Amino acid sequence: MPEPTDNRSGLVCVGLNYKTTPVEVRERLAFPEAQVPEAVQQVRSLPGFEESVVISTCNRVELYVAHSLASGDHGHAALRDFLVRHFQLQPEHAEALVLYNLDAAEAARHLFRVVSGLDSMVLGETEIFGQVKAAYKTALDTGTTGRTLNKLFQQAFTVGKKVRNETTIQRGSTSVGSVAVDLAEKVHDLKQCRVMLVGAGEMSRTCAQSLLSRGAKSIIVSNRSYDKAVELATEMKGTAMKFDEWEHSLHEVDVIISSTSAPHFVIKPEQVDQVMRKRRWEPLLIIDIAVPRDVDPAVNEIEGVYLYDIDALQAIADEGRRERERQLVACERIIEEQLEKFGFVKTTLS
Amino acid sequence: MTTSQQLLAAATLIFVGAVVQALLALKSGSWKQTRGQFMLMTLGFLLQTGFIYLRGQEVRQCPIRSLADILVFIAWSVVMLYFLVGSAYRLSLLGLFTAPLVTIMHAMAFLNGFAPYPPKGPVNALVELHIALALISYASFALACITGVMYLIQERMLKLHQIGGLFYQLPPIQGLSQAIQRLVRFGLLLLSIALAISFALHLPMTKTGHVVFAWIVWGLYAVIAFLMWRHFTSPRRTAWLAVVGFILPFISLWIVTHA
Repeated sequence: MPEPTDNRSGLVCVGLNYKTTPVEVRERLAFPEAQVPEAVQQVRSLPGFEESVVISTCNRVELYVAHSLASGDHGHAALRDFLVRHFQLQPEHAEALVLYNLDAAEAARHLFRVVSGLDSMVLGETEIFGQVKAAYKTALDTGTTGRTLNKLFQQAFTVGKKVRNETTIQRGSTSVGSVAVDLAEKVHDLKQCRVMLVGAGEMSRTCAQSLLSRGAKSIIVSNRSYDKAVELATEMKGTAMKFDEWEHSLHEVDVIISSTSAPHFVIKPEQVDQVMRKRRWEPLLIIDIAVPRDVDPAVNEIEGVYLYDIDALQAIADEGRRERERQLVACERIIEEQLEKFGFVKTTLS
Repeated sequence: MTTSQQLLAAATLIFVGAVVQALLALKSGSWKQTRGQFMLMTLGFLLQTGFIYLRGQEVRQCPIRSLADILVFIAWSVVMLYFLVGSAYRLSLLGLFTAPLVTIMHAMAFLNGFAPYPPKGPVNALVELHIALALISYASFALACITGVMYLIQERMLKLHQIGGLFYQLPPIQGLSQAIQRLVRFGLLLLSIALAISFALHLPMTKTGHVVFAWIVWGLYAVIAFLMWRHFTSPRRTAWLAVVGFILPFISLWIVTHA
């Protein structure tokens, strides 16, 4: 069983995240990106503090500090006071503020877990790696890092890469939107992919946005309310289409996302069969998010058509989450090994 | 066992190693194109090249006149094309699918035995070019067959909603379909040149078994390429054609070398 060593006693981390603090408090305590350089300098200039890095994202605010104080507790208290003062919290809010206070090995372990995506809302997500890297670079450019934090963050990035390379923690989709993107990527080259939204529901908007953010070529929006179609198309830099015209453009698109509120099937096998002939059998992905379903399940029998309804998407997302959870043990093991390797913990003979 | 055969045996073991390594990684769920995998394929290719060179020295001509030698030459061409096609199409798993076929070809070559060649007259460069181009075209059809298998697996997983480990590793079906088409066209082009050379050689078509079979193979792949070009059939069916179609050139090799 690893036990902490004392070689990094000057390191502390104070923070809050989506687990400890509700969003209405987190948003009050977030550092705007432009103010982070000033914040890291303010933290470093606190008495007894030698180095500082500030990580501020929508899900967490964390302050990492190397200090020469008598104990970590003094460091925790000073950082808490800094946050209260900086964000001008009312006494009742300051009283209710829940922070985690970590020292040395615990702080390093926490940072390694954060960088690896193990502390994220979506387990294994990779965005946090870039966010921590950006936060570290800001501190580095501002000149508030030194030997301790430079070493710690470099080690954290090494651990993050190791976890991602040696496990499948980031593989698979955990949301309906990301499942849609994964499926589209396995059917087409996304950069050439033309998307059509039939119906402008919230979830179809999310799926379409995911596809566009990953490089989908163009989008057509068709909705019973033409104004809503225009609004959504404008938002997504696409084209709006009247609802009675969408059928004529079916052969021109590669992905159809359907989410109308029709009580019957809107897309039927005979329509799609004709479309496939016109498309010269180019594959067609249909994502049916509507309940009741918009697309007749028999459509999936047609050559070159791949139909996924909301249950199928949800099942894939659930399996993705389970798969990531199964990888957790292996990830934690790698982190413990690295903590030992970098001298944060030592293994006792027992 | 001669030095050349020792090299080939080593190459076979390397390709088996590449398959085992990739399968273990796939099973653990953490497969990705690693430098180690690429190195294994490269090492195997170099050993194959060494075999062909030494074998050429032994028989004092291009070693493409016995079934065993032909199989090794095609296997070598398959790996060479894999290096070209695999990177061009980002078909990262192609190596995993290529290595077993290459291993089987090597094993069949060993089973068939590397007999000494009968003495022959002076080397005719056109004849050697004709045979080499025809065999490289067969390798292209072999790779189209392997890519077809990858397409059919990925297509089935998409159709049946089996979104698992292999699904994330295989390329998009559209890319696979394009790769099949280009490999078939490339093979057809090489075979056409090889057959054009046979006219220059004044080989009587009716009396030369391997040319007759080469024409039959050419006809088959010309039909497949035409169907693909005109989109007369779905990509899934053309993938099946690429897979099943390779049976003909494979069998024809047997027939012409035993005729």
